Amino acid sequence: MKCRGFCIFLFLVLGVQSVQASALSQEQVLSTWYGLILKLVRHTATYSPPLASRNFAYLGVASFEAMASGDDHMVSLAGQLHELKPLPPRETGKVYDESLVLNATMAQSVENFFGNTGPSGQNALRATSTTMSAQAAQAVPADVTSRSVAYGKMIATHIFNWSKNDGGATITNTGFPLKYELRQGPGFWQPTNQQALQHMPLLPNWEKNRPFAMPAAATCDLPAPPDYSEDKTSEFYKQALEVRDVVIAITPDQKAIARFWSDDPMLSPTPPGHWVSIVMQISSRNHLPAAKTAEALARVGIAVADAFIGCWHTKFEYDLVRPVTYIKKAIDPKWETLLITPPFPEYPSGHSSQSGAAASVLTAMFGEHFAFDDATHVNDNIPARHFESFNQAADEAAVSRLYGGIHFRAAIERGLEQGQCIGKYAVKLKMLK
Amino acid sequence: MYWEICGKIKDAEMKHFFTFCALMIFAEQAQASSLTIPKFADETQSSGLHSVYAGEWRYMVGGGVATFDCNGDGFPDVFIAGGENKAKLYINKSKRGGALKFVETQSGAEFAHVTGAFPIDINGDGITDLVVLRSGESKVMKGLGNCKFAEANKEWNIDGGDAWGLAFSATWEIGNTWPTLAFGTYIDRNFENSPWGHCTDNWLLRPSAVGAGYGPRIALTPSYCTQSMLFTDWNRSGTPSLRVSNDREYYEGGQEQLWKVLPGQAPTVYTQAEGWKFTRLWGMGIASADIDGSGYPAYFLTSMADQRMQILAGGPGKPAYNEAEFSLGTTAHRPYAGKDQRPSTGWHAQFEDVNNDGRYDLFIAKGNVDRMPDFAQKDPSNLLLQNEDGKFSEVGDKANMLNFDEARGASVADFNLDGKLDVLIINRHTNVRLFRNVSEKLGHWLNLRLENAGSNHSGIGAWIEVMHKGKVMRREITVGGGHASGQLGFWHFGLGDDDTGEVRVVWPDGTKSDWPDVKVDRFYVVDQAKGLTEWLPH
Repeated sequence: MKCRGFCIFLFLVLGVQSVQASALSQEQVLSTWYGLILKLVRHTATYSPPLASRNFAYLGVASFEAMASGDDHMVSLAGQLHELKPLPPRETGKVYDESLVLNATMAQSVENFFGNTGPSGQNALRATSTTMSAQAAQAVPADVTSRSVAYGKMIATHIFNWSKNDGGATITNTGFPLKYELRQGPGFWQPTNQQALQHMPLLPNWEKNRPFAMPAAATCDLPAPPDYSEDKTSEFYKQALEVRDVVIAITPDQKAIARFWSDDPMLSPTPPGHWVSIVMQISSRNHLPAAKTAEALARVGIAVADAFIGCWHTKFEYDLVRPVTYIKKAIDPKWETLLITPPFPEYPSGHSSQSGAAASVLTAMFGEHFAFDDATHVNDNIPARHFESFNQAADEAAVSRLYGGIHFRAAIERGLEQGQCIGKYAVKLKMLK
Repeated sequence: MYWEICGKIKDAEMKHFFTFCALMIFAEQAQASSLTIPKFADETQSSGLHSVYAGEWRYMVGGGVATFDCNGDGFPDVFIAGGENKAKLYINKSKRGGALKFVETQSGAEFAHVTGAFPIDINGDGITDLVVLRSGESKVMKGLGNCKFAEANKEWNIDGGDAWGLAFSATWEIGNTWPTLAFGTYIDRNFENSPWGHCTDNWLLRPSAVGAGYGPRIALTPSYCTQSMLFTDWNRSGTPSLRVSNDREYYEGGQEQLWKVLPGQAPTVYTQAEGWKFTRLWGMGIASADIDGSGYPAYFLTSMADQRMQILAGGPGKPAYNEAEFSLGTTAHRPYAGKDQRPSTGWHAQFEDVNNDGRYDLFIAKGNVDRMPDFAQKDPSNLLLQNEDGKFSEVGDKANMLNFDEARGASVADFNLDGKLDVLIINRHTNVRLFRNVSEKLGHWLNLRLENAGSNHSGIGAWIEVMHKGKVMRREITVGGGHASGQLGFWHFGLGDDDTGEVRVVWPDGTKSDWPDVKVDRFYVVDQAKGLTEWLPH
């Protein structure tokens, strides 16, 4: 016991000892892996927007925890997120390389969460893993490398194990149930296209998933949409007429907005991936430190994941018919949407909920008037757009669904409100000392 | 009755009535005879065919077959792509109506890295040439006769590229004696570790303005990782356009395409303002046929999950298509048999009348790309019969065709000249599979081959019309489409229980033959100048 004071001193000095000797910075590790993640999300068929949001949350938490384990200024999310238990500790007095820890966590996590990707995705994953591991280990002593890699994998395994019982781990038939009984009545959702797979709604039980930060799926539930009616004086009819008229008289700018935020699965990084892409663009433009980027990725991932759980709860609570079904029946049989109508109920808009949540988080982190350019889709020949704030971007993402002809105004406005409500729980998380 | 009326309406060029016609024809068909399910026997083992489409990532697509008569005996021979293995040419040694027999022969086209092949008589000498698509330089092989071929890229100034060749089509533009060739390519092979967004250009080769052979390539930019292309006269204008089916897995900013290819003009893509719909799918193969008697081709596009069926929406003025896969029962979106219920992956597709009832049926080759866990690993190919009401029903298992190979290309052809269509399927990683149609009580049939002296020897671009009991079954004669697989030779028509038939050909120059009566269950050669002659198998 005499050594107590000295031991405490030694612990303080050596307890979380680490070196930053890797040839790769943590910023480079995050940037490279998230670049691949955004591609894999696009090219892995299971990755519908709800699943993408879930896995962005887990990947964000994994990368944050990998860094937090070696940074005294960062606070673990264990105990703050539902059922996330304390992460494994590092070996006392041992040296770790932070880039190697982070890289190992990312490599293992991407492999864990993209096990379903196809042969091209697997090639890309292997190639990235091999290249990054080699680069990260350059000039790092072998014992430090092996210890850091092993620890990074432990973090990834801990997060992956945590994910397994949340209700969303197993996706079959790319999310479309083989059996589902549609509710009968003109106001309820009906299939909207010729594809048999989509004659069942996507992931009808997604609301049952364990949330991340918000208390429960129904925490930010919404009031009912306008009552279904085919009466021309009804609010429902008026909102449908607005959708019909907007699409018929759509302006070039409205069309550009609709396309910009369309974010169709398998053709884009999906809507939650769009917000992750925004974070990565800002990280690059502003040369954010890795800790800040990791915090933003984790908060955005958690916010959009909770938003999809909450949104899906409300969607299947009201099970509202889509504009295309109603308008063809009650207003104009020849009317067509601009965008493809997604295969699930209308109210509220998922884009709106998750954009509201993401914007809440980013506004809290970067401020009310943080201007940025969003070039998420430039490779798809869709030019970048400029926004004066995150809320402006969220508002535009939300209204884009009206321009696309796939949502009524109520779903858009209430959806944003729902997202803002849900986002507050991600904002409240204590991630820095 | 409506078939006849609609045929006459077509003659009067009142084409906008086609939807009405189609509906009336369906209604009339509903009163016709019941569905006949054909029976097939697996004769792979005894056939003598042994060819495996081999290779990993660079051969995850492709695996086609060219079906044509290379020795003049009338029996279809087959040239089979091997991927990393060498391609093989098999001569058909079957007896008429007998078991299917093939013998490998050396043709001069035994290249490795072959993904697919299409037969076509390019130089109009009456001997079929062979376009061999490759991962590398694609080759045009000049037919020398008796199943021998010689490379003609140099002689004809053919730019075969250095790409992942996967698609081909051809058309004779007005005034040309040589065809315009379209080559379709897939991913840039240099980006195996991050292939997305790396599609290589497709290109056209037009006949040289001076002398024989071809001019420089005309890039079909933008190109979007193409797996199938087809020159087809979608609106019966007399000038085919080039339909291109692209794989959305790999392009960025892409879509399905229809290229306007007008003589003497640079090709241009149809735009949304012209009626073309913004459609994106995992385009793997194209099949086309006038399935509803409208006078216009419908297009079946293979993909992942739901396969697509497109029907011309508003008449010949605009290339606007309605999706009809659900209403016609052709979604084929998941395995129809076995325990695997994950979504399907479609490749080669072909409309043919396999039960000789006078209606187009549909064969779809199926198989996982390879280790795609989100999609069915045991994914049987489909045989969909068209019912009296115009809808399709799956009968693959009832027809004894159920298997779980990783199918790719295919050919539905009458290999033993018995008037019943057989099926050859090319598989990834395993041997081909060959089914002989052994049905005993099918309807009557006609097999017709177009033949002209000089250029466009096979009448590419013509429409054959077979009328029986007032019904007209039409077929556009094309080179291209499918999945890396093409065929040339006799074209098959079922006649049901009708023991009489009339045949007319609308030639590419627009001239129409009369409607001579023909005896059923026969082979005929139709020459634009000489008319119709019965052909007897040797």
